[in-house]
Amino acid sequence: MIDRRLIENIDWFLIGLLVLNSLFGVVVIYSASHYVPGDYHVRQLFFIGASLLALFVLLLVDYQVLMTFSFYFYGIVVFVLLMMLVFGRFISKGSWIKLRFFQIQPSELAKIAIILALAHLFAEYKRNHVSATAVLTSSGLVALPFLLVAMQPDLGTAVSFLPLLLGSLILAGLRRNAVIWILILTFLAGIAGWNFYLKDYQKKRLATVVFPSRDPQGAGYHILQSKIALGSGGFLGKGFARGSQSQLKFLPARHTDFVFSVIGEEFGFIGVVGVLLLYYLFLWRLFRSAGKSRDRAGVYITFMVSLMIAFQLLVNVAMVIGIFPIVGIPLPLLSYGGSSLLANYLGVGLVLNVKMRRFANI
Amino acid sequence: MQKDRFYEDLSLILSRTHKVSIVIGLLLLFLGFYCWKVQILDHKKYWNLAEANRTRESVIIAPRGLITDRNDVMLAENTASFKASIIRENCRDYDRTLAEVGQLLKISSEDLKTRIAKYESLPLFRPIVVKDNLDLGDVSRIESRRLELPELIVETDPRRYYAFGSLAAHVIGYMQELTAPELKSDAYPEKSLGDMVGRTGVEKQYESILVGADGRRLEIVDSQGRSRGETSRSEPTPGKDIQLTLDFDLQRKATQLLEGREGAIIVLDPRSGEVLTLASFPTYDPNKFITRFSPQEWIELINREDHPLENRAIRGLYAPGSVFKLTMALGALNAGVINEQTSFFCAGTVRFYGRPFHCWQRGGHGALTLTDAIRHSCNIYFYNVGRRMGIDRIAESAELLGLGEKTGIDLPGEKEGLVPTPEWSRSVRKTDWYPGETISVAIGQGPLVVTPLQVAVHMGILANRGRGVVPHLLMPSASSQGRSSGPVQRDAAADKVRADIFETVIRGMWKCVNEEGTGRGAKVDGFDVCGKTGSTQLISRERAEKLGREIKTHSWFVGFAPRDNPQVVVTVLVEYGGMGGATAAPLAKELFSLYREKHD
Repeated sequence: MIDRRLIENIDWFLIGLLVLNSLFGVVVIYSASHYVPGDYHVRQLFFIGASLLALFVLLLVDYQVLMTFSFYFYGIVVFVLLMMLVFGRFISKGSWIKLRFFQIQPSELAKIAIILALAHLFAEYKRNHVSATAVLTSSGLVALPFLLVAMQPDLGTAVSFLPLLLGSLILAGLRRNAVIWILILTFLAGIAGWNFYLKDYQKKRLATVVFPSRDPQGAGYHILQSKIALGSGGFLGKGFARGSQSQLKFLPARHTDFVFSVIGEEFGFIGVVGVLLLYYLFLWRLFRSAGKSRDRAGVYITFMVSLMIAFQLLVNVAMVIGIFPIVGIPLPLLSYGGSSLLANYLGVGLVLNVKMRRFANI
Repeated sequence: MQKDRFYEDLSLILSRTHKVSIVIGLLLLFLGFYCWKVQILDHKKYWNLAEANRTRESVIIAPRGLITDRNDVMLAENTASFKASIIRENCRDYDRTLAEVGQLLKISSEDLKTRIAKYESLPLFRPIVVKDNLDLGDVSRIESRRLELPELIVETDPRRYYAFGSLAAHVIGYMQELTAPELKSDAYPEKSLGDMVGRTGVEKQYESILVGADGRRLEIVDSQGRSRGETSRSEPTPGKDIQLTLDFDLQRKATQLLEGREGAIIVLDPRSGEVLTLASFPTYDPNKFITRFSPQEWIELINREDHPLENRAIRGLYAPGSVFKLTMALGALNAGVINEQTSFFCAGTVRFYGRPFHCWQRGGHGALTLTDAIRHSCNIYFYNVGRRMGIDRIAESAELLGLGEKTGIDLPGEKEGLVPTPEWSRSVRKTDWYPGETISVAIGQGPLVVTPLQVAVHMGILANRGRGVVPHLLMPSASSQGRSSGPVQRDAAADKVRADIFETVIRGMWKCVNEEGTGRGAKVDGFDVCGKTGSTQLISRERAEKLGREIKTHSWFVGFAPRDNPQVVVTVLVEYGGMGGATAAPLAKELFSLYREKHD
C-alpha cells in the first residue's frame, strides 16, 4: 500500500535532526533529574520511541486524506476539551487527562488538529489577500479551543495556538490594515486579560520580567535562579551533572520548562550555541520543506508546523533567559513530557508526509 | 524546481513563508546574542551568585578567655547556653509561624517581628536568634514541636557566665550585642550581626586578649538550606585567659560592707599598684544582660536614680574633704610655709576675708601642732595653712600626689576630677579666683573633686614615701603585653619632697588612727594602720540649720598599713555616710583585719 518511491522520498535528514535533538534532551533530563525518583530519562526514551512510531504510522496515510477528516479530529479534540472542563474533577487535573497507565495533555494534540483544520480551510484559498470572512472563520476555529484550554487554565499552551492562526493568515495574505487591527486587538485583549483573566501570580511574573531582582524570594526567584544557572555556566559550562544550580535544586522545573538553563549551566555557552545551531538547522530544514509541497495545503501544513516549533523554542528560551514572562511553554523536543513530544513528532510527521508526496502522480 | 502544469503556482505564499522564516532566524540570533551577554559578559556576576547560593558560611563562636582572681577563683567563665532560632526561608506560613513560636516562647509576635527585622541583612538560610538563654523547659517544648515547626531550631553557644553575679561587676564589666552602627564602623572588623562584645570593665579593656578568633564552617547547601557536607572548616581559637590582681575574699568582704549603701571601696598594694579590691555599690548582675534583647530590667537599671551601672570608684567625683589635709600638710612642709612645730589656735570659728569659717568641732581644738591637727582633722589649722600656701602651691602638691588626673588604671571610662587653679577659673568658669575659695579648698571643699581611686593612689604615694603608684588589675604574669601599654610609674613626689616630710605626715596619720584621733575606728591591733578620715559637706552648716535638716556628709576613710613597709592601702567612700570616722573608718578596719588575717 505504500510505494517504494514514497519511502525513498522520506526526508531522513530531518528525522535524524529530530531524533538527535530529542536524544540530547534525554541526556540533559538525566542530568537534571537523576537524583530524584521517577526515572524521567527512561520514560522520555520511551516517549521518543512511541512518538517515532506514531510519526511513521502517520506517514502511511496521505495528508490529503487526513485533511478530509480534519474537522472530525477538530471536533473530537474540542469535545474532549469541553468534557475536561465540565467533568474536570473526575477525569483530569488541569490540562491533564489521567488514563490508567499514563496521562496525556489533549491541548498539545489540539495543535495538530488545528493545523489540519486550518490547512483544510485555506487549501483552496487562492486570492492574493485574505477576506474578512476567512479571517473570522479561521479566528473562530482557533478561538474555541483557545478559550477551552485557557480556562483549564493553561495559558501557555493556549497561547501557542495563536501563531498557527497568525501564520495561516499571513500566508493567506493579510493586508497591512489587518495587521494593524490585529495589533490593536491584541493590545486590547492584553488589557482585558490583565484585568479579568490573569491570576495574581501571572501578573507578578509579567512584572518580574522587567524587575527580576525586586522580589528575589517571590515571583522573581525562578527567573533569577535561571539566569544565575545560565550565567554561571560561562563559556565551557560546569560539566555534565555538575551544575550546582540544577543539582542542588535552586533551578525550578529543571527537566521540563527550564531544561535550557541546565544546558547553559552544564555545557556553557558552547552548549547553548550548539543547541541553538541544531535548532536552526532543524527549523531551516522544516521551513525549506514548504517549497517541496505539491499543493497549497501542504505549504500551509509545513509552515504552521515550523511556526509551532519555532514559537515554542523562541518563547521558552526568551523565558528562561529572563526577557519574557514565565508561561508554561516547554522547550520543544528537549523538555521532558510525552504529550508535547508526541505533538511535535506528529507535526514533523505531517511535514514529512507532505514532502514525500510531492509528486502528484502517485 | 521546475514548474509543472499539474502544480498550481505557490510562489506567492512560498515567498511569505520565506519572509517569516527570516524573521524567526533573526529572533534566534538575537537570543543567541543575549545568551552571550548573560554567559560571557556577566559570567562573573552570576558565578558569584551561584556560589553564594550553594555555600553557607556559619560561624563557630570561639570561647572567650576566662577571668580569675589572683588566687585562681573563677570570676568569669563560659557555659553552654541554648538559643532558639528561626530559619526564615523554611517557614511555610510566615505569620502562622510567628504566632506559634511566639506562643511557645512567650514572646509577642510583634516583638518577634522586630527581632527578626533586626537581622534582615543576614544571608539566606542563616538562622536568626529569636530568644537566647533558654531554660530546659523551652528547649524540650521546642524539640517536641520539631516536626510541625521545622523552621524553629535550637542551637548552643558558649555563653559568658559570672559565677558570683554582681560581685566585682564593675571591674569585670558586662557584655552586650554589637549594634548595627558599631558594626558599620571599623572598630570590629571581625564581628558580625549578633556577636557580643565587652561593654565595660575588664571585658572591654582586654577585649582583644579575651576574644579569640571565631572559627568558620563552609557548607554546601541545597535550595532547601539542607547541608550537603562541609567543604572547609577553620577551628575557633579560644580567647586567652586573664588573671586579675583582685583578691576574691577582700572583694567579697568589701561588697558585703557596702551592702545597702552607696559608695566605693578600693584596696590596693602600694608596692606594685595591684588592685586587690575595687567595689562600687549599688551593683548589678552582669549575667542578666548577656542576652541579645534588652529586657525591661535593663532599662530600669539605666534609669535608676542610684545609678548601679556607674563605677563609683573610678567615675564618681567627690570632694575629698578632710582627706585633702594630707596634701595640704605635705605641700606646706615642702614649701616651707610651716614646719612640724608650727601651731595655730582653733577657737571653732575663724574669719577670713570678712566671712566666718567653721571647724567641725564647734568648741574648737585649742592650740595644735601639725600632727595633732591631722589627728583631730582640725579645719582652722588648715585654713591658716591654706592661706599661707596659696592656691597654686596647693594645686602643685595635689598634682604631686596624683589628684585631679587619671590614675591610668586598666579600666575604661576613668574620670579626671578637678584640682582648681586660678587659670582654670578664668578659662573654664569665666570668673576670677576668690581668695576665700582657697580657704575652702584647704579642707578639701570648693570646686575640688577627685575619684576614690585617685584618693587611693595618693595614699599609696604617701605610704611609699613618694614613690609613684599606677593601679592595675591585670596580673603581670598573665600577659606581659597588657602592662607595657599602661602609663609609666612616676616618682615625682619622691624627687621633689624630702623623706622626713613624708614621715611627719605619716606620723599625723598614725596618731589619727592609733591615738584616739578621728580615724580611731580603723585601728587594728598590731597592724599599725595610718589613715585619715574625711567628711565632705554637701550643704553648708548654716543652710542645714536653716532647713532644720541633719547634715549628711559623704564619709571618707583612707589609710595604709603597716606604718613601715606598707603592704596595703584601703580607701572607703560612703555617700551620705555621715562622719568619716563614724562610718567609713570601721569599714576600713574590717578590710585591714581581713588582709592581715590572710597574710599572716
